[in-house]
Amino acid sequence: MRQRSKVPTWRRPHTLPDVVNRLGELEREVMNELWSAPSPMLVRDVHAALSRDRDLAYTTVMTVLERLARKRMVERDLDGRAYRYRPAQTKDALVAEAMSDALDGAGALRSEALVRFVDGITSTDAQALREALARVEAGSRATADTPPGGPTRP
Amino acid sequence: MTPLLLGILAVVLAGPVPSVLGRVGAFTSVPRAAVVLWQAVALAAVLSAVGSGLALALRLVTMSGRAGGWALGPFRIGAHLLVLALTVTVLARLSWVLITNARTLRAIRRRHRSLVDVAGTTAPNPTGTPAAVLVLHHDVPTAYCVPALRASRVVVSDGAIARLDAVELDAVLTHENAHLRARHDLVIEVFTALWIAFPRGVRSRIALDQVRNLLEMEADDDAVRLVGAVPMARALVALSIGSSDRSSHASVAPAGVDDLAGHATSQVLRRVERLAGAGTRRAARPVLAAAVYLTAVVVMVVPTVTIALPWLRAAWRVVG
Repeated sequence: MRQRSKVPTWRRPHTLPDVVNRLGELEREVMNELWSAPSPMLVRDVHAALSRDRDLAYTTVMTVLERLARKRMVERDLDGRAYRYRPAQTKDALVAEAMSDALDGAGALRSEALVRFVDGITSTDAQALREALARVEAGSRATADTPPGGPTRP
Repeated sequence: MTPLLLGILAVVLAGPVPSVLGRVGAFTSVPRAAVVLWQAVALAAVLSAVGSGLALALRLVTMSGRAGGWALGPFRIGAHLLVLALTVTVLARLSWVLITNARTLRAIRRRHRSLVDVAGTTAPNPTGTPAAVLVLHHDVPTAYCVPALRASRVVVSDGAIARLDAVELDAVLTHENAHLRARHDLVIEVFTALWIAFPRGVRSRIALDQVRNLLEMEADDDAVRLVGAVPMARALVALSIGSSDRSSHASVAPAGVDDLAGHATSQVLRRVERLAGAGTRRAARPVLAAAVYLTAVVVMVVPTVTIALPWLRAAWRVVG
């Protein structure tokens, strides 16, 4: 009896699994604050924004910002005695860089670093693929123990 | 005699044997067992090379101690030294490549992880493994994983999610999780290093390519076990055909892209056709798997028992 997974809650708001790196999660939230801010922010401004619904230590926010600075995700300028932080690149630029890593993967090691689901450089054989897919579907319809695949497409 | 035998064995296992194994189509029906066999062949090749070197070294040492000095002529001694040098070189290159590649790979992954951790959105991992799942907000469909000991990630783009229904997405996640759980990346690292380390006339790229394909199929099987063959096949087709609308990406054109396209296309095609039930019938698979595992054991044990052990015993007597 083949087990079926439950339909995952991709479209609904989700609760984060415990194993998600807490610090990584904070980094994301801090970056989102900086991206949505109209001007560079002080540590205490970021801390104030993030601790609206929870207890967050000031030093934690400071540590996260320093980590981000080390990773060159944020830049900072001294304003009086405190630093003002701003993102080093726009969010879109980061996404584009990540996608470029994932897609272009040229060079032997780069394509080994990220393990792609499928090497999607398909030029001519779309038809052959569709025919093969039809055979998979036909084959599964022929076998009695497999119900027709999946919920209806959106 | 022993060093010669082991040397020949090493060469045979590095080139001709992979050529023969690479043509065995039935392996795709039992990918996990096949990868074990490939690993056994690779390990036996390395051990034979090492053993050959050791036997040569011992022979040179014992010869120099014998009364009458160098009993063999200078030519044969020269040949011994040459082969010994080759063995040491291969081992040194292997170690060097392993270490430097590992460092580079981990640096690339670390940088990429900091990118997606910050620029992506978290999503639950419904297949229940510890890897964090991140969604990149980009229209080009892609799905991949970033292997690591503890900080692995599965990344999916909005473009990919748009092309898949919920069950197909499950298939993709299960496939990627399978790679992470079984640390397939480490297997690839070793085979890549072996291919680079063995000298050009002797080595064969077949092992690396075959193992890569087999590991993809093994991960496909994991997904099929959970969601069935149809969603898995649909996911493969949806994400590979969808990616051909990438003409807007000016930066995409790695050297030899036509070769890559042809090769990549046939790889996806092979994976989908395999899901159509091509190959060994399901009932015969456990038997085939057992035969393959047995072959792996034979490959490891037979040279050890017939060549290495007797030599070791003789060497012990000489040295001890």
